Amino acid sequence: MSAEPGELADGLTLRGWAVDPVAGREGAAEIAVEGGRIARLAWLEGSGAGDLGPDGTLIVPGLVDIHAHFREPGNEDAETVATGQLAAAHGGFTTVCLMPNTTPAIDEPSVLARVERAAAASGSPVRVLVHGAVTQGRRGETLAALGELADAGVAGFSDDGSPVRSAAILRNALAYAGALGLPILDHPEDPTLTEGAEASEGYVASVLGLKGWPVAAEASSVARSIAILADVVRDVPGARLHLAHLSTAAALAHVRAAKSAGLPVTCEVTPHHLGFTDEWIAGARRWAWEAVDPGGRARDPWTDGALVAAPYATALRVNPPLRCADDAAACMVALADGTADAIATDHAPHTEVDKHVEFGWAANGISGIETAIGVVLAAVGVGGLSLARAVELLTTGPARVLGERHGVAPRLREGDIADLAVIDRAASWMVTAETLRSKGRNTPLLGRELQGLVRLTLARGRVAYAE
Amino acid sequence: MTTEVERPGSVSPAPATWGHRHLLDVDRLSRADIELVMRTTDEMRDVLARPIPKVPALRGVSVTILFYEASTRTRVSFEVAAKNLSADVVNVAAASSSVSKGESLIDTVRTIEALGADMLVMRHSVSGAPYLAAEVFGGPVLNGGDGWHAHPSQALLDLYTLRSRLPDGSLEGRKVVILGDVLHSRVARSNIWTLTAMGADLWLCGPATLLRGFEGWAVRGAAGRRFTVTSDVSAALRDADVVMALRIQKERMASGLLPSLREYAARFGLTRARLEAARPEVLVMHPGPMNEGVEIAADVATDPRSVITTQVANGVAVRMALLYLLAAARRAEEGA
Repeated sequence: MSAEPGELADGLTLRGWAVDPVAGREGAAEIAVEGGRIARLAWLEGSGAGDLGPDGTLIVPGLVDIHAHFREPGNEDAETVATGQLAAAHGGFTTVCLMPNTTPAIDEPSVLARVERAAAASGSPVRVLVHGAVTQGRRGETLAALGELADAGVAGFSDDGSPVRSAAILRNALAYAGALGLPILDHPEDPTLTEGAEASEGYVASVLGLKGWPVAAEASSVARSIAILADVVRDVPGARLHLAHLSTAAALAHVRAAKSAGLPVTCEVTPHHLGFTDEWIAGARRWAWEAVDPGGRARDPWTDGALVAAPYATALRVNPPLRCADDAAACMVALADGTADAIATDHAPHTEVDKHVEFGWAANGISGIETAIGVVLAAVGVGGLSLARAVELLTTGPARVLGERHGVAPRLREGDIADLAVIDRAASWMVTAETLRSKGRNTPLLGRELQGLVRLTLARGRVAYAE
Repeated sequence: MTTEVERPGSVSPAPATWGHRHLLDVDRLSRADIELVMRTTDEMRDVLARPIPKVPALRGVSVTILFYEASTRTRVSFEVAAKNLSADVVNVAAASSSVSKGESLIDTVRTIEALGADMLVMRHSVSGAPYLAAEVFGGPVLNGGDGWHAHPSQALLDLYTLRSRLPDGSLEGRKVVILGDVLHSRVARSNIWTLTAMGADLWLCGPATLLRGFEGWAVRGAAGRRFTVTSDVSAALRDADVVMALRIQKERMASGLLPSLREYAARFGLTRARLEAARPEVLVMHPGPMNEGVEIAADVATDPRSVITTQVANGVAVRMALLYLLAAARRAEEGA
């Protein structure tokens, strides 16, 4: 394709297996893009479909990431809004919501404006939305300027990186933001259980001598936040709680119960908690679903020859930590059955200086926005998720968490402004420092071949990425 | 490293079966690897029995001992071992804390290598740190203890000591109890691998808060070799062949893991009365440094059944064997 980044998408004819989660339709299709719009969408039948199938080239609405860190302002060595947008487009994402744990934190409109200026100045058509902080300086003590931030256009509120420690502050924030029509995106973690924690508490952490991060730290925090939400919605029906990066069966069970009780709670799962497990820290590199035997029992990497890499790779240090295969399997089930609403990358780029150190001193986070689609398609490939559900979880699912305020409406429809991604499932790419657009090379997939190659990303009618 | 590594005078040529470039952990040592260390340690003990306990095996080899954590016995033991092999020894005591990091580990290791180090012995408070050093250091790295993770030379000297003192020299089926703060112990973790590899019936015993996570390991076993985890000290000590007490640190009270040292001593301290439950010829061990009167009673530490001073003496021979095997493997690699 001859399209250049930044150019108006024009004169393009795309053929592939289109998946439209809004129409609930998937099939062989041809899409003509003219003047930045989807001029024509033809579903192809019979011989017209040729050999187009769900294992080949996919055409999907532009992916939506409700949880990413672009490090600007304050840590531009790790990522800038501009490099983050490039990375997003390379991963098929056309809308990204940034977390406010920058320096300074995005806790009042002037910092927000700074980020929005950077997004506009980059020339990238990738849409950047921003979550405001729940509390001033994310310190958990007093509410940030929620109303002013809402007026200035934030997508939601989060103290991500830290939980809202105080139950009283969380209760007030849910009520206040609920009245503004915006969700609170809470980072579930009881910090009294995770001080100094390095890896998920369990077998691998025990063997490697890493301080454990117990499941209870996430599950108890989720239970607490849901209980507070139940209290708040009686007074403020618009209150909404979104739980970030859930990683455990126990936490997801609380969400499942809360949803069946009708509470306005949503949650997300990251690709790394779906595809990787804690045994990667010991040196294993197999997918989470390969870490269990046919009877569903977790395999032991120390007995079955799975330890192929050096242990303690700091690209694997992340918060919440990578979990055991059972928890990863629970994440898959939750994504499939609707307990989880979205796949969010928690893209967390870091510099070499912050990562190439002792494991216990390495910064938490995985650079994941470019590899997300590959990991999710691997899960689809083993039947853990249907293709249609996977696309939902990366498009309409996250859009629903955001609500209608910002008009994030991923779909493939004639006449719409072109906002889509073309992904070749049959092709793979080598994840290297050179192929990644993010400044953060802190991914455990570095040096690996990943199936699922984004060939074209169109955002808001313009070319965001073209192979 | 370009120097010749000579065999100690009296011993046979080294079997070419030591295939490890570094010694960072014991989790993937085979029984044959362990036997080789034991045999080589026998040879080093012979050297140590000579009037002048020194051989030229590592002459011209520069060994840097880089310790980020305070230690006397392990550091001195490595230093004596290296000097007995005629190596040049450089000691580096580095400040270690996550808040005053200063020069990074990688920079330090690169500097040490540029200054001519051929081998690196390191201790660090963060689990896994020697793997990071091995990533950038050109020669062999020997883990002298990392965080809660591993202490390979200690586990091997414990094993050597047991084999030399048990009646038939075998661990097979012997009940070995590791008693105390298992959670924070790299000695316990490394001993789990080596003792079960040699067929011991291993028991870990201590307060439940200091065994956290080990039940999940025990049911899988160390490479499938099961062991037992319990807080029932009488069940653990009953008919034990070996009891190894671990040091209890005062910080465990501050972090709420234990009510008090007094309570620990009363419920888990290794006393003569408690030792009655073990076999009469039980061996008592401790990796040191000891808190006498807390995890081990003073009269138990000096009892004839205690092999604690033998552990220290064997430490030098085992570390000579490890330095020798790693240097020889390195030379073989360079010659190949």
